[in-house]
Amino acid sequence: MNLPPFFRAAAGPLKLMVQDRLAVIGLCVLGFIIAMALFAPLIATHDPRHINEIEDGSVLTRGADGWELGESLGPLALNDADHRGADALIVGRGATVWERDGAQWRRVEMPVSTDFNAVAFGPDAGALIVGERGTILSLEGGAWRAIDAPAPADLRGVAWIDASSALIVGAGEEIWRLDLPEGTITEIDSPVGRGFSLRSVARDADGTLLAVGERGLAIRYDPQTGAAVLDRLGSSRDLNHIHVAPGGAALVTGERGTLLRRAGPDANWITDPAPDTRALRAGWIDDNGAAIAVGRNGIVMEWDGAAWQLVPTESERHLRALLIEGENWLALGSDRFVTRTAPPSREHWFGTDHLGRDLFSQNVHGSRIALLVGFLGAALVVLIGTNVGLIAGYYRGRTETVLMRTVDVMYGIPFEPFALILVLLFQPSLLIVILAVSLLTWRTVARLIRSQVLSLRERPFVKAARVAGASDLRIMYLHIFPNVMPLVFLELAIIVGVSIIAEATLSFLGLGPPHAISWGGILHDARLSGAWRTAWWWNLPPGIFIMVTVLSVFFISRSLEVVANPRLRARQ
Amino acid sequence: MSRRTYLIKRVLQAIFSIWIIATILFFLFRMGLPDPTAALITEGLNPEQRAAVRAQFGLDAPLWQQYVLFLTNAVQGEFGTSFSYRAPVSEIVWERLANTMILMLMAIILAYGIGVPLGAWLSWRRGSRTDTAGIFVGLMFRSAPMFWTGMIAILIFGVWLSLMPTSGMRTLPYDADGFWDKVLTLDFLWHAVLPVMIVALYYLGSPLLIMRNTMLEVYGEDFIEMARAKGLRERDILYKHAARNALLPVVTQLAVTIGLAAGGQVVVEVVFSWPGLGREILNAVRTSDFPLAQASFLIMAAFVITLNLLVDILYTTLDPRVSFR
Repeated sequence: MNLPPFFRAAAGPLKLMVQDRLAVIGLCVLGFIIAMALFAPLIATHDPRHINEIEDGSVLTRGADGWELGESLGPLALNDADHRGADALIVGRGATVWERDGAQWRRVEMPVSTDFNAVAFGPDAGALIVGERGTILSLEGGAWRAIDAPAPADLRGVAWIDASSALIVGAGEEIWRLDLPEGTITEIDSPVGRGFSLRSVARDADGTLLAVGERGLAIRYDPQTGAAVLDRLGSSRDLNHIHVAPGGAALVTGERGTLLRRAGPDANWITDPAPDTRALRAGWIDDNGAAIAVGRNGIVMEWDGAAWQLVPTESERHLRALLIEGENWLALGSDRFVTRTAPPSREHWFGTDHLGRDLFSQNVHGSRIALLVGFLGAALVVLIGTNVGLIAGYYRGRTETVLMRTVDVMYGIPFEPFALILVLLFQPSLLIVILAVSLLTWRTVARLIRSQVLSLRERPFVKAARVAGASDLRIMYLHIFPNVMPLVFLELAIIVGVSIIAEATLSFLGLGPPHAISWGGILHDARLSGAWRTAWWWNLPPGIFIMVTVLSVFFISRSLEVVANPRLRARQ
Repeated sequence: MSRRTYLIKRVLQAIFSIWIIATILFFLFRMGLPDPTAALITEGLNPEQRAAVRAQFGLDAPLWQQYVLFLTNAVQGEFGTSFSYRAPVSEIVWERLANTMILMLMAIILAYGIGVPLGAWLSWRRGSRTDTAGIFVGLMFRSAPMFWTGMIAILIFGVWLSLMPTSGMRTLPYDADGFWDKVLTLDFLWHAVLPVMIVALYYLGSPLLIMRNTMLEVYGEDFIEMARAKGLRERDILYKHAARNALLPVVTQLAVTIGLAAGGQVVVEVVFSWPGLGREILNAVRTSDFPLAQASFLIMAAFVITLNLLVDILYTTLDPRVSFR
């Protein structure tokens, strides 16, 4: 085949490379990384910028030094819990019911599959669970029986009136009285009737029932008269939960750190200042002055007799319910929470970072910037270096002096600090990073190529071409250039490695292309967040990726060196 | 060309290089930061103080006058006052430069002290598993970014094993009179172990591979055949005959490495909070402390060029084969 000399020169190195085992490994690994960069969106399991959330049946236990995360109860959020004597029930989303079985919790199969919102044990026997789409379940003689609801309402709270009747409240301002064992439901007219959501109900010390809900709504139902009347607790914020102690102390919790406390049955409701203004989802109080409230983002507040104190918890989880039995305090949750700095799991192979972003996907996407800067930078470097070397070596004289003196000056400029200053002065961008990487690196290439060209230009074939009337350009690029091609390839390979490390370095210092995901950038985030000292899964993979990529390029360059340096070839 | 004219020519070249770099630096800064004192507004400087700073750097004069002022000041070692430290820049820079140099020199000495004999030994075991493993490890540390190996080293030795200090040059607080008082202590050595190790591991690859490859070339020479014929022990041939003749390319590489040492390894200084010049430049860049950034870089470049010059001169003295071109 009659290929141009350009290609013929390139075929040689390739043939030699295939014979070198290390080079083949290098080529395979590099091919793998390139494929990863090209198909990054397909390989990545998540959007690398997406903040991931997870649902979990979280249980926090109060220990000697604060609240500690225990073993999860299933993958679904836990919404409410209640106990009577040794019996205890926890209910949650997706028909989750956990029943206490000694020191363990045992999952109970339910006849329905809806989300459960509340649970309440009867005073002597029985228990009720209510949930979305009109779910009402009654525990009778060890088995759960579904009770037909008059409407598919989202039922939020349940409280027993006496041993055979209970009050159920719902998100559409439903107030239902349930009479057991027949299971008849009486709908009670709300004094407001504007469809406000009622979220919790509790039996007060005087035998009436108090339901709380949206916009500070409080409705008191008197079983004697059968009427529901409006009550005022002194807040217009959304109220989430009410708990009344047997002696009459009561606590209502709500959105934005709302805490309404009543010391006794006849005392006034007091709005307490909260140390945190996030939503509080559940509260508990007893008649001796102990009280606790829990809420979003692992907020736990305890009443110390004079003020509410934030208690440290390690978790990001959203707490929704409390189960308090003597010394045994449990806080339950958790609906979708951001999975920050989570260790590797089946969902997130490399774990997550401090914002809950998937690190595997970030690493996969990071290969794009690394290879882009690596190859573009190297191409630019080789383009400049080769041409300067060719021109300086071929023309000699004043041209050479000027060009090589420039190269000498450049050898006096330290690389990293120069790149830093360049990025400082011209704002980080992909172009500036590539420029910073390549602006100094071509000095080596220029020197090497020039020294080769110096000897090549004196060879007979160049003289022959000149006698035949070839122009300077033709001699330089068609006769001399193919002979320095192996050297150019060698330098290209080495500089790809150098550029990848240089880009990673700039990104690590926070001066990389903005808004781009890169391996150096991941390490920058890890260092900045401070979590890298514990989160090994965060800073290990990007470095390994950089190392493997650069190493594969070095292996390839080693076999290219054999091509460029015949002395090495003779040795083998 | 005689030795004297060579020397004079090299010195003039070095001065020329420094002047060019200073010029590039000056115009780069004027292009990138038209009003360097803008950063000072946030620091709550009143207009008079700001005017004083502007006068100090001649920022109201035409560009060529500013340039002349910059050059005269630089020649006199006068670089103005740092915005963030409120102290003369030159004092800060010299101390940081010494910190960088001691770190780099220790690492380079360690790397070459281990790399050269190891490379010779690998060449002797050429083709064996040890040889492959040695090359692999050398290249591996050359490919791994130093900030990453540094972070991993801190993670292992500092956090998990709690063996080593991981930041700074001394345990705080300490008082020391001058540089040597600070450095000649066990505490300093203890702090230097990790950063020196990381830089040395990075540098290890080049003396190792160069030594190994040159040794392989030397083995083919006639005088090795001759030594074998004389019945010398293999070890004597390796270290007394072959290694000496293979040293030259390694020494060349050493010279280049020392020459660039003042440029330091910014990332290692950052990761280990080593108060070196590279880290100072980064901080100056971040806080827009332009007198400090400008002076640090100029002094660093001047030092690199001077080191290159010294190494070149020393080299011609050591190796008579190098001609004074």
